Amino acid sequence: MRAVYRVAKATYHEGWRRRFLNGILVFAILIIGSSWVFTYLQPGAELKMLIDVGLGSIRFFGMLIAVFLGVRLIPDEIEKRTIYTLLSKPVSRGQFLAGKFFGGLATVISNVALMGITFYVVFAIKAPQFAIPTEEGAPQYSMEFMYANVAKAILMSFLELAVVMGLAVVASVVFSWILAAIFTFFVYFVGQMSEFFGHLADPETGASPAARVILGTIYRIMPHFEIFDVREPILTDVPIVWGYMGRTFGMALIYIGIVLALGYLFFNRREV
Amino acid sequence: MFVSHTREVANIALAIRTEHLTKIYDVGWGRQNVGIDNLTLEVEEGQIFGLVGPNGSGKTTTLKLLLGLIFPTSGNAEVLGMSLDSAAYKSRIGYLPEGPYFYEHLNAPELLRMYGSLFGLRGPDFEKRIQELLELVDMWDRREYRVANYSRGMRQRVGVAQALINEPDLLFFDEPTAGLDPIGAKHIREVILELRERGKTVFLCSHLLKEMEPICDNIAILERGKLITRGSVDELLAGDVTQYRVEARDLDDEIIEQLGDGVAEIIRLDDSCRILFDSREDAFEAATRLEDAGAYLMTVGPDRRTLEEVFIDAVGEEPKDASSVQGS
Amino acid sequence: MSHTTKVVITWILLIGMVAGMQPLSETLNTERLIRGYARPTQVTKILQYDAPAMTGVIVGAMLGGFREVAASMLWMRTQSLWYEGRGTYWDALYLMRMTTLLDPHWLEPWRMTAWHCAYNLYVEAEGDPEAQARMLELGTDVLREGISWNPDRYDLYFELGWTYFDRIRDYDEAARWLGAAVQFEHPEYIERLIAHGYERLPDIPKALEWYDYCLKRRPSDETAKGATITIRERYLPAWRMMEEGRYDEAIAHLDRYLTIEPTSTIGLHVKAHIYEEAGDLVRAREQWRLAAETMALNHHARYKVAELSSKLGLPVPEHPSYIYGERRRQRMEIERPIPDS
Repeated sequence: MRAVYRVAKATYHEGWRRRFLNGILVFAILIIGSSWVFTYLQPGAELKMLIDVGLGSIRFFGMLIAVFLGVRLIPDEIEKRTIYTLLSKPVSRGQFLAGKFFGGLATVISNVALMGITFYVVFAIKAPQFAIPTEEGAPQYSMEFMYANVAKAILMSFLELAVVMGLAVVASVVFSWILAAIFTFFVYFVGQMSEFFGHLADPETGASPAARVILGTIYRIMPHFEIFDVREPILTDVPIVWGYMGRTFGMALIYIGIVLALGYLFFNRREV
Repeated sequence: MFVSHTREVANIALAIRTEHLTKIYDVGWGRQNVGIDNLTLEVEEGQIFGLVGPNGSGKTTTLKLLLGLIFPTSGNAEVLGMSLDSAAYKSRIGYLPEGPYFYEHLNAPELLRMYGSLFGLRGPDFEKRIQELLELVDMWDRREYRVANYSRGMRQRVGVAQALINEPDLLFFDEPTAGLDPIGAKHIREVILELRERGKTVFLCSHLLKEMEPICDNIAILERGKLITRGSVDELLAGDVTQYRVEARDLDDEIIEQLGDGVAEIIRLDDSCRILFDSREDAFEAATRLEDAGAYLMTVGPDRRTLEEVFIDAVGEEPKDASSVQGS
Repeated sequence: MSHTTKVVITWILLIGMVAGMQPLSETLNTERLIRGYARPTQVTKILQYDAPAMTGVIVGAMLGGFREVAASMLWMRTQSLWYEGRGTYWDALYLMRMTTLLDPHWLEPWRMTAWHCAYNLYVEAEGDPEAQARMLELGTDVLREGISWNPDRYDLYFELGWTYFDRIRDYDEAARWLGAAVQFEHPEYIERLIAHGYERLPDIPKALEWYDYCLKRRPSDETAKGATITIRERYLPAWRMMEEGRYDEAIAHLDRYLTIEPTSTIGLHVKAHIYEEAGDLVRAREQWRLAAETMALNHHARYKVAELSSKLGLPVPEHPSYIYGERRRQRMEIERPIPDS
């Protein structure tokens, strides 16, 4: 554990010093911080706009950071040969991989936390103004629910980004970093619609048997990223229950476990 | 979890042993490059062992194999009596890679603290050790500098310090003096000799033959992945000493011709001349005569070869990267 | 632990996790639907649409969490085009359509697109009655598609009902869609609108039923109160007479009010309806035509004219404003199920 912690700590500090990622973070915070400005474009749907732009930016920029940080973590160590001094010390391949992952994850989480806090502040200030009272005078949305839901949605983004991070780190062990980034984006986007592929594999849709097999396989092996998407309950004011969050957390752990196990199997015999 | 593995293994005479170690790199499209070919080596404890050869001869490949950074195609090896798979030997070794690089945001003490913590080292004694090590490599005064601002030489110095952080029994140094000024290089050589004094084994890789010659006990020469020759430095350099040499400058042909029958061979070098004699008496007599004639006498003695000569003899041609073999 | 042992353990863990992944993700997907965190993907529906629509939906699905942002961006672009008066109305329609496909559960773009067709593009098509009729149909078709994506909310049913009520004045359809809207959680004024639709259809008893329902729920509803008084006084007696077959008396009763207020839509419609019930289709047609010509956009009356013309074997009036009504009649003929008996 000590080795994992040390590698993670160094990775975390190094992660914060990547200018490219700092740039994304600053840009993201500017967008999120000014998300309420966009709402004037949409009279009547200000709250939706605010949540779309805010949460969407957190997920989007968080994903950019996770992917581009994740695919660079190990290749950078190899290119700069810092990995030599580490792996020649009592640090196993598995510990190194885990350390890189957790260090990168800590960087992403702190980045997303900054974005999340920014959004939360904007939301807490602006949302009550946008909640339109109904004829009876009761607010259309109950704000307490919304605050909790928004916080939960940000938590869900963490989980999603953790999986993306794991994918990116592991892909970079197998492929060159550019290919790894493309691969991670691909899995992310296809994973967003794995449910959809599952439906297409249904005999009802009239797809050919061969197509159904392919679609069914995609459905089974792709991570289902849509489980982290909770925008719908926020807008419809349905509480996001902790039980669901817990199960999603378990699912995220399984996904991370799978990618890290695969990563270990690859990285174990990887020559550096 | 690693500390528990650092139990003393008593009486192992060999620090490193390789048997038919072979590494073939796949370079794609079915083509292969031989990294090292059937290398069998033994390195005894407590000595300085030099693995020499031109660039690309397989020195670094050997080192990486021994460190578990890459994996052998065939053959096997033991380090400190443990197989490469065990990884437990890593808490007892130190490694200085060629042209080392470190996390840029750290300064030297932070860097050493991080590496030390991987061995579970901490506390005031450890802090003291950090200071000692940085003083040893002459970096203590510059300890506040960040790695990002280091010169190549400074990275090399810190590289040496981090290799020593765990007081290893076996050290792997890949081109330890590369990038250092002559004083720095001399300093590192002194450190290496001192390590031997303290009973450590040092495994050196270098193409700087002139630097290896005075410090190594044993040497193996690699060329294109193959072991060409090996042995103790004394043996290799002595060759078969049946001849004696006189080397001098500022002499003209006339004097050389007057030397007479004792001369076995005359070798004209750039600005000097090396004259070989079959008997010791002839050589010393000739030396006196040359000096009397106003020549500047450089050497008189047994015709001991330089490592460079041994190397050229062994390889049978000039080393590919001739300029680097000539030394810096 | 030896290297091989570690690899074997990793493989076992890996297989275990992959095996566990599937059931848990199925559970989560079902839970999302049950809790309302997600909406069912209507694949068969998507497949009915043309290729570009399918592409739009797939791109939207792939964007996942960002589809809303993408749709929002597109929407913002539409709005800026709109307010700055750049681009044509048709450009805006294209962007709007893309927005609806990117995020089909976002209601605003459906509403706006329909409104854009039925109101703005309708005006744009001035001088081409054929195109104008098409715009009205396009607007309602957009909303129908929107409803098929969002069948569990009142919003688009209401929007469609309102478009029929206010824009097309097709009270038959208006009453039908507004009636669908109140099946879901809805604002109260929709109930009153249904009554307004029925009184213009006309179906006076149904209208009264809805007004009474409104009053029962909110006794202080002044509009409903006023409306029931007017209807009971003016139209209900005539309706009752009609039901009893006393058509002439009914007409005479109505005419009293129509002389005071000759453009009363309800009056004109009820009178036309009475003629129709009496079997006097020629007069009924004349009466509907009168109602149609009293109000520029009364497509309900025009549809009735077209329907009766067809029954009587008479030509539909040449005037271009009848095009929509005639098209609607033709569509109804195709869609109407063959009556039993």
